[in-house]
Amino acid sequence: MNAPFYKYGYFGDELYLIAAFAIGIAFGFFLERAGFGSAKKLTAQFYFTDMAVFKVMFSAIVTAMLGVFYLSWFGVVDLDLVFVNPTYLVPQMTGGLLLGMGFIIGGYCPGTSLVALSTGKVDALVFLAGIVAGIFVFGEAYPAIEGFASSTALGTVTLHEALGVSMGLVVFAVVLMAVLGFWGASVVERRLAEKAGGAV
Amino acid sequence: MKAYSRWTISHKLALLALVLGVFALLGTAEKSGTVQLDTQELARIVEGEVDHVDVEELADWIVQGRSDYRLLDVRASEEYARYHIPTAENVRLVELRDYPLYRNEKIVIYSDGGIHAAQAWFLLQAHGYVSSYILLGGLELWKDEVLFPALAEGADASARAAFEKRRSVSAFFGGQPRTGAAAEVERYTVPVPKLESVPNVAVPKRSRKQKEGC
Amino acid sequence: MTSVEEYAAGGRQPAPFMNPYLAGIGLGLVLLTAFVAVGRGLGASGAFSTLVASCVNALAPAHAEGNTFYEGYLHNGFGHPFKSFLVFEVAGVLIGGFLSGALAGRLKKVVERGPRIGVGGRLGLAFLGGALMGVGAKLARGCTSGQALSGGAVLALGSWAFMIMVFVGGYAMAYFVRRQWR
Repeated sequence: MNAPFYKYGYFGDELYLIAAFAIGIAFGFFLERAGFGSAKKLTAQFYFTDMAVFKVMFSAIVTAMLGVFYLSWFGVVDLDLVFVNPTYLVPQMTGGLLLGMGFIIGGYCPGTSLVALSTGKVDALVFLAGIVAGIFVFGEAYPAIEGFASSTALGTVTLHEALGVSMGLVVFAVVLMAVLGFWGASVVERRLAEKAGGAV
Repeated sequence: MKAYSRWTISHKLALLALVLGVFALLGTAEKSGTVQLDTQELARIVEGEVDHVDVEELADWIVQGRSDYRLLDVRASEEYARYHIPTAENVRLVELRDYPLYRNEKIVIYSDGGIHAAQAWFLLQAHGYVSSYILLGGLELWKDEVLFPALAEGADASARAAFEKRRSVSAFFGGQPRTGAAAEVERYTVPVPKLESVPNVAVPKRSRKQKEGC
Repeated sequence: MTSVEEYAAGGRQPAPFMNPYLAGIGLGLVLLTAFVAVGRGLGASGAFSTLVASCVNALAPAHAEGNTFYEGYLHNGFGHPFKSFLVFEVAGVLIGGFLSGALAGRLKKVVERGPRIGVGGRLGLAFLGGALMGVGAKLARGCTSGQALSGGAVLALGSWAFMIMVFVGGYAMAYFVRRQWR
């Protein structure tokens, strides 16, 4: 068995789009299960009262990362054919900063705003309108900022390539960091809950 | 530390993750340059003549604006800049292994004559790109048959008909047919117009493969 | 849908959220399925870019084709810009979210906000936040789904840098909008 299946020609373009649709349904389902259709739950992360965003995000990353790593090790997945986002260091960091600010100001991110919209949140609809406006502004300004947006292009580079270590070492480090982070997050949540309880 | 029997599901999952993380230190996931080859299979492909694509076929694909193939030019970048077959991508042999190619699309390789193309074909086949093909005759035959097709003096009706079609294809690529006395078939005696004289042609826009970013 | 009616009538309580680690593992498995099936991860912002590019193209085709940013999204699908992975995936997200919400009794038309802000203020900030996010996502070539989750899982350098900055930006701004949420 060779994976990714689509890139080995196991199925064609129609099934590709159907797969995208099915994957999207599962994606939206689990996002809502986690409570990410709620801006209040999402933003609680940034006030340390509910660290679900961190917990969900990093459990997802660790799960997928371990899955891809082990499947590649056993020769099932050809890692070369799995898309790795190219790195544009400065634009990505700037974009991340803006996105983080937009997250706490608006209360959602693009994916979660869709889930929120589908469960009735009116503010998510307005947020989505904002995203569209923002993209339009970016698109119109693109000829002027294209240079910046394509700067510090390092190509497709992974953490282990950049550090000159094996992928396994980075996988281990990420898992360790995540587990420590989860433990820390629970401690923070508990302390704050105790403080709030005591203040009543 | 609580007794294991009192651990919650979250604790157990964390332990599982840590165990998997530690084992990962032993593993390797990157591709190496060392491959396993079935040389008999490769020999069979060559003998069965299914390892190449004709220049006329490629010309048709380009004219039709098809997007189900990749065309690789394995010459030096200066030569590529001087002239390359429309829709070709310049890739050196050393860049081939890491070059983003799908295994479910046709990959056609060409060079000036065909030796480097054949070597590149071998490398790609070795890395599992079973749909890779050599452009038979390379750029030399592309010049002779597509860009500057020739019609010999005493040609019969069917040869003339075929030549008419090649004339329009040649015009599409900015070339020029050779007729009359100057069109003796022996390519070594009659000078073929230089590639630099061929203008840049606009080729119909192919629908690109899916961008995979966000 | 019974649960919605009950909830609207003040009857049934919405179900509690899933254990975050389990939900995360579920998400991770979905992401892994995407990697194994089609060799790419998830995303969301790209579908909006396609929408914007298509609208601009409908109103001013020459302008859209001449703009590298729009043009990239216009020629991306299988024949039509909407026949792209992200557009279909986003359609699925809407349905999946609705399904989960319906099953848990969490469907309700509401403007989510903290106790110290009004509806108008909340909606204004939602729009502003969305706009910031639109610009940020395009600069970063992705959002939390595409860059942080998917790029993070394959250990892309830029994705991790992006992810860290998202948290930095969120925490930095949190104090200033605390009245919106707490």
